Amino acid sequence: MDLFLNLVASGLVIGSVYGLIGMSFAIIFRTTGVLNFAQGEVMMLVAYTAWTLTHTLLFPFWLLVPSTIVLAALIGMAIERLFIRPMTGQPIFAIVMVTIGIAITLRSLTTLVWGHEFEGFSVPFSGGVVEIGPVFLLTEQLAVLILFMAVSAMTWAFFRFSRVGMAMRATSQDETAALLMGVDSRRMSSFAWAISAIVSGLAGVMVSVLFARAPDMWHFGLKSFPAAILGGLDSPIGAGFGGLIIGVIGELSAGYIWNGLKEISGLILIIVILMVRPYGLFGEKELERV
Amino acid sequence: MLTLTNMQIVYDRVIEAVRDVSLEVPEGRLVALLGSNGAGKSTLLKAISNVLFPEKGEVLHGQIMFRDRDIGKTSANEIVRAGIIHVPEGRRLFPLMTVEENLLMGGYTASTAALHDALDKVYTMFPRLKERRKGEAGYLSGGEQQMVAVGRALIGQPRLLLLDEPSLGLAPQIIEEIFEAITRLRNEEGISILLVEQNAALALEIADYAYIMENGRIVLDGTASEIAKNADVKEFYLGFGDHGAKKSFRDIKHYKRRKRWLS
Ligand SMILES: Nc1ncnc2c1ncn2[C@@H]1O[C@H](COP(=O)(O)OP(=O)(O)OP(=O)(O)O)[C@@H](O)[C@H]1O
Ligand SMILES: [Mg+2]
Repeated sequence: MDLFLNLVASGLVIGSVYGLIGMSFAIIFRTTGVLNFAQGEVMMLVAYTAWTLTHTLLFPFWLLVPSTIVLAALIGMAIERLFIRPMTGQPIFAIVMVTIGIAITLRSLTTLVWGHEFEGFSVPFSGGVVEIGPVFLLTEQLAVLILFMAVSAMTWAFFRFSRVGMAMRATSQDETAALLMGVDSRRMSSFAWAISAIVSGLAGVMVSVLFARAPDMWHFGLKSFPAAILGGLDSPIGAGFGGLIIGVIGELSAGYIWNGLKEISGLILIIVILMVRPYGLFGEKELERV
Repeated sequence: MLTLTNMQIVYDRVIEAVRDVSLEVPEGRLVALLGSNGAGKSTLLKAISNVLFPEKGEVLHGQIMFRDRDIGKTSANEIVRAGIIHVPEGRRLFPLMTVEENLLMGGYTASTAALHDALDKVYTMFPRLKERRKGEAGYLSGGEQQMVAVGRALIGQPRLLLLDEPSLGLAPQIIEEIFEAITRLRNEEGISILLVEQNAALALEIADYAYIMENGRIVLDGTASEIAKNADVKEFYLGFGDHGAKKSFRDIKHYKRRKRWLS
């Protein structure tokens, strides 16, 4: 039982990372219909930038968080403005190919600027151990869980209640109708890229704290993709929970069956679930009326 | 209030949907734009609100003046802010959002305070929507959807309302309800309205002025009563011949054939 609970806990931790990145896939997809294959690379770029703020420029933590959020938003908006907006009106497939190009560019850019070395990322809250019943968690692991819950709640409230969040949903359902309401759909796309970069960027910082700031951390983008598919690409909250499920299943199958299953059990799960529910677990059904 | 001059509109750079149209909507008036399927009526409205681009439509020629300002190059969201609100053909609600969320989207450009007053007003106008406000818009009946579409437009506080076939697919008593609401908007709120309709008889009853469009051109215009009396209009749009009897389908086909020769 203790083993089980500890596996679930570490599954939730890694699942939170997958979930946050999955959410950022879904935020862009739902608003613009584009699958951003550079999500892991955007995450890496934000994490590296935050690392430089902390370790080179010696920003204190209270300043690091807001500046990382602002920089992430700027990075997201800059990518949208430079590479995605000029593609407006092109087939979605072409735009997705562009995101693959962005991914490769960002990977080389990162190694060009920061080199190939791994570096630790230290934050004031790391290094402690928390005991919750039979479960042991490092403080930074606990922080990931808290971050996941906070970001999920904010994302949910943003899309549910805020004017811009509602406009983003409206744009995804009927772009022309949204234009007729006075929504500037290009700005919605820019917002989506900004928010998505913030969410995945925060995940990237946590990945660097948990493991290291490393030039191959973009792999987390690929690993999180199943989370977005599982939860439903058009549902950010669903994608978040999809991440938790993939994380827990991965840890459990690795702990009880065979370590090699950690990476592939999530994919197996997706194949099964998509056969039953093609829109993902939490994806919005297409209404037949209208 | 709104003046279109020599509008020419194409789709995909070659399909000419509107050829040479000039039209005017005076302040506080209800102008009807009538015409058969494919005449170019919806295209003209999309040009006014500048939402042709997602369909690869383009205004090649012509001028759109709204309150003495050329809005030909103004973006769709700025046009909404200037006070032109367009209720598109087929209602185009946000199907997965609730009725209330749809209505709130209509007030996207309004201030929060104004939004709540306007919402109350729409619920007074269409009490049925208040009962259904938490329901998903996609599951409403056609008439209820049309009420949401009109209500959503009103929340944006339009000066000029563009209505594209509000009676499409509705039962007669709902049509009456909607048309009454439209008439009240002109009479009580002084909103100018450009109304596109297939139901010519009904539109001519409430309109001040009317234009008839065929194959991308205006073929006839005049006050609503003049148009309603016009023999050709009676024959082909109101469905009556000189003696008040319905014309047979064959006669109308004959007219069409003749028209093709002429054009
Ligand atoms: N997106 C489009 N691409 C190409 N051609 C189009 C497009 N939309 C409309 N057309 C063409 O332009 C012409 C005018 O269409 P429009 O929709 O304006 O007609 P309408 O007068 O509104 O007709 P209806 O009464 O049937 O709604 C038609 O010949 C139509 O086939
Ligand atoms: Mg039409």
